[in-house]
Amino acid sequence: MLTKRSLLLTAAGLLVALTTSVAAQSDYPNRPVRLIIPFPPGGSNDVVGRVIAQHLGEALGKQVIVDNRSGAGGVVGTEVAAHAQPDGYTILGISLAHAVNPWLYKLPYDPIKAFAPVGIMGKGPVVLSVHPGLPVHSVKELLALAKQKPGDLQYASAGVGSFQHLSAELFKLTAGVDILHVPFKGGGPAMIDVMGGHTKVMFSSLVQTTPNIKSGKLRALGVGSTERSKILPDIPTIAEAGVPGYASENWWGIVAPAGTPAPIIAKLHEALTKAQASPEAQKYFDTEGATIVSMSSEEFGRFMVSEMNKWEQVVKKGGIKAE
Amino acid sequence: MELFNNLIFGFAVALSWQNLLYCMIGVSVGTLIGVLPGIGPLATIAMLLPITFNVAPVGALIMLAGIYYGAQYGGSTTAILVNLPGETSAVVTCIDGYQMARQGRAGPALAIAAIGSFFAGTVGTLLIAVAGPPLAELALKFGAPEYFSLMLMGLVAAAVLAQGDMIKSLAMVAMGLLLGIVGTDVNTGVQRFSFGITELSDGIGFIVVAVGVFAVGEIVANLGDPEERRVFTEKVNNLMPSWNDLKQSIMPIIRGTAIGSFFGVLPGTGPAIASFASYMVEKKVAKDPSRFGKGAIEGVAGPESANNADAQCKFIPMLTLGLPASGVMALMLGALTIQGIQPGPDVMTTRPELFWGLIASMWIGNALLVVLNLPMIGIWVKLLKVPYRLLFPAIMAFSAVGIYSVNTSSFEIYLTALFGVIGFIWIKLGCSPAPMLLGFVLGPMMEEHLRRAMLMSKGDPSVFVTRPISLGFMIVTALILVVMIAPAVRRRRVDIAG
Amino acid sequence: MQFEFRNNRDVWAGAMLIATGAVAIFMARNYAMGTTLRMGPGYFPTVLGGLLIVAGLYLAVMGLRRNEKIGGSWSLRALIILPLSLVLFGLLMEHAGFIPALLVLTFGSTIATTESRPLEAMLLSVGLTAFCVALFIYGLGLPYPLLASW
Repeated sequence: MLTKRSLLLTAAGLLVALTTSVAAQSDYPNRPVRLIIPFPPGGSNDVVGRVIAQHLGEALGKQVIVDNRSGAGGVVGTEVAAHAQPDGYTILGISLAHAVNPWLYKLPYDPIKAFAPVGIMGKGPVVLSVHPGLPVHSVKELLALAKQKPGDLQYASAGVGSFQHLSAELFKLTAGVDILHVPFKGGGPAMIDVMGGHTKVMFSSLVQTTPNIKSGKLRALGVGSTERSKILPDIPTIAEAGVPGYASENWWGIVAPAGTPAPIIAKLHEALTKAQASPEAQKYFDTEGATIVSMSSEEFGRFMVSEMNKWEQVVKKGGIKAE
Repeated sequence: MELFNNLIFGFAVALSWQNLLYCMIGVSVGTLIGVLPGIGPLATIAMLLPITFNVAPVGALIMLAGIYYGAQYGGSTTAILVNLPGETSAVVTCIDGYQMARQGRAGPALAIAAIGSFFAGTVGTLLIAVAGPPLAELALKFGAPEYFSLMLMGLVAAAVLAQGDMIKSLAMVAMGLLLGIVGTDVNTGVQRFSFGITELSDGIGFIVVAVGVFAVGEIVANLGDPEERRVFTEKVNNLMPSWNDLKQSIMPIIRGTAIGSFFGVLPGTGPAIASFASYMVEKKVAKDPSRFGKGAIEGVAGPESANNADAQCKFIPMLTLGLPASGVMALMLGALTIQGIQPGPDVMTTRPELFWGLIASMWIGNALLVVLNLPMIGIWVKLLKVPYRLLFPAIMAFSAVGIYSVNTSSFEIYLTALFGVIGFIWIKLGCSPAPMLLGFVLGPMMEEHLRRAMLMSKGDPSVFVTRPISLGFMIVTALILVVMIAPAVRRRRVDIAG
Repeated sequence: MQFEFRNNRDVWAGAMLIATGAVAIFMARNYAMGTTLRMGPGYFPTVLGGLLIVAGLYLAVMGLRRNEKIGGSWSLRALIILPLSLVLFGLLMEHAGFIPALLVLTFGSTIATTESRPLEAMLLSVGLTAFCVALFIYGLGLPYPLLASW
């Protein structure tokens, strides 16, 4: 009886698979799409993903369900997506971590070849800030202090291999200074420690930091974007303030498993563009000090490769290890 | 007077029929997910986030907040009835709450949990209104040395948790500390005890261990001893607490509220720590500590108040500094950001309707929860009359789905099965799992803060005694040790003399 | 003596602690120890492992003197069937969907007790599964397929 049933099931499955592969591209999507977020609920990856998912769903005409698969700095969820059916019903929300993980972990997937790029959602710069009790008011003064007593200054980060950690290491490499890394479990605890004056320096996402910069609990010295931020127009970029060539921005994007048919990628890209234009997405990115960016799928693919190369240098020269 | 006016304004906002409806929906959903293990406010709020796009910011926040503290109420219900911690914070309630239920006192246990939570919710709400910003300032004074000293104090006090053999309990604490180490080391990023399994790189989930050792372990033990269980199902006495119960619970509720508020304000302490602290205090001050673990009502009243106060006060760093102390708070922050609001020190003046409306709604929500929960007790207690052979498969099903949903991971289910077996063996060997869970919660944080403190002081251990707050905790820790060891030494002298 | 040793509660508790401690120390040898002032990732586990071994030895010795027995039965049936149904649930969730996984889990649970009645067990597992589908999938909107994987 069991075999008979499983046979029937297989037959039915085959039938469904056949019909879908033929009809897939014309009537896609005909069921909900799963957006894997390889991070737990609550973080910036998750919130960005949820805002976009809602509108992505409206543009596609079928719901987009967010599926949090967190673990190992995003590796767990990314692996699930890498091995999912390339039928357009599983897509993955990625961030800068995707371009950094290859240099930190042994990956059970190829970060570039296993995926077909869909598009980028936006970028958010890092901001360099210090506790107001520290007698430095500019990037140059900070560099002077760090050179005076190498290794004496300490900076807080959201953890080993985090965006904050890498931004700081890039800063140290570019400016040639030595500041001691003090890792925390997440950006929140790190910021609390700096606001309390225990650690003095911090690289953090502009997102979380803005309200405390505005209230004077933290003193911002520079932003990591190539242009000044709209929400903090008085703060110079780190590059113009004394570390030429420095740029560090987190980014969020969407990829699909490699082999997803091109027409489906095009449909997803079109829907993503619509989702980016929604008022919620605009408002969210604005308040966070992030910017919405558009790229074609191919451009986004090239961007991912260039980001991987950039951070490979930082991870290797900075001696960052996570294993 | 200004406060009074602000509160009136807040109530005017919160009592609009839409906001009242959002509050009602929030606390009802919260209670439901609170009862279910694994499925917590974090996942629920994440799923509901898109819905809030089309709701006014105040209403959205009121509803999400309602889910959050509603879950705290619901979590204790299954802890008391079937030893299943619905939420992390309800673990401590399992210890004495479940024993009360076994003695036919599930009604009073549930009622006192609701009453204690309401009191703590009221105080917590008032604290946010009166002293939010200064309390947040206080929290900033805590760096790595302070947290370490505080946790060391908690660890030393853990000996109080001992039932029977002190050495056994302390060994279980060490076992918990060891289990807590599994995963990625915060300071170096090294994987420890993860056996090359990717899923273990973020550590073992607290709810996995708690459901495994408490719920599954208990079911296996119960199925082995059907005799004991029958007594449990047939004897259900009064539903409401007696006058005596109330008198016994007043002080624990007040102390629990104070403890919970303290821990709630500190962003660097996880859930369940406040409840554990309250439990240890109650056991220490009790005239007859031996009643604890056997159905002492103080062991329910204190921790339940503590975890609700803790939950309310977690809003303080979020609202006044814009800093999320937990994943749930991070999501609330996200929900506000989507609406174009950035919480921070000026939110009270720039968005008074949001701040005061939320505060008023919290109190209303807590009141609603008591009104909802007290009549429910009768129904819950009837559930205990269902024959156990029909009840426990349901517990298994809810636990399994709940745990699976935390990370959509079968691996966590396998772990739960493993901890079920381990928990049962512990029960058989007379090793109580409660101290283990305390070690499990404290361990990773203690190590993290200790090593961070040493890193920041460049290896100078004097940081723990040169910073005033840390020194204070160290002195109290020393005092606890003296108080604990002194009677033992005296006894030994008498033994030797005799 | 040999017989008494076999269900001596504290001797077994001690043995369990010693074994855990030994495994911890054995595994931690791969992690850098560091120094007391600059602790490496191996420091804490090694110290804890040592503590567990000491506590285990103490318990084992005390156990031999006190000689307390393990009480109650081992309920082997439940001890095997319940974890097994959980594992099956996990496997089926990945490969067959929500309904088969829950059916197996609830049916497995119901037959874990010696008091189980076949008909009742079947009805209960079907009923519970239906209830869970209504509650979790439709009520709470959990995104799991009812049958077959995505």
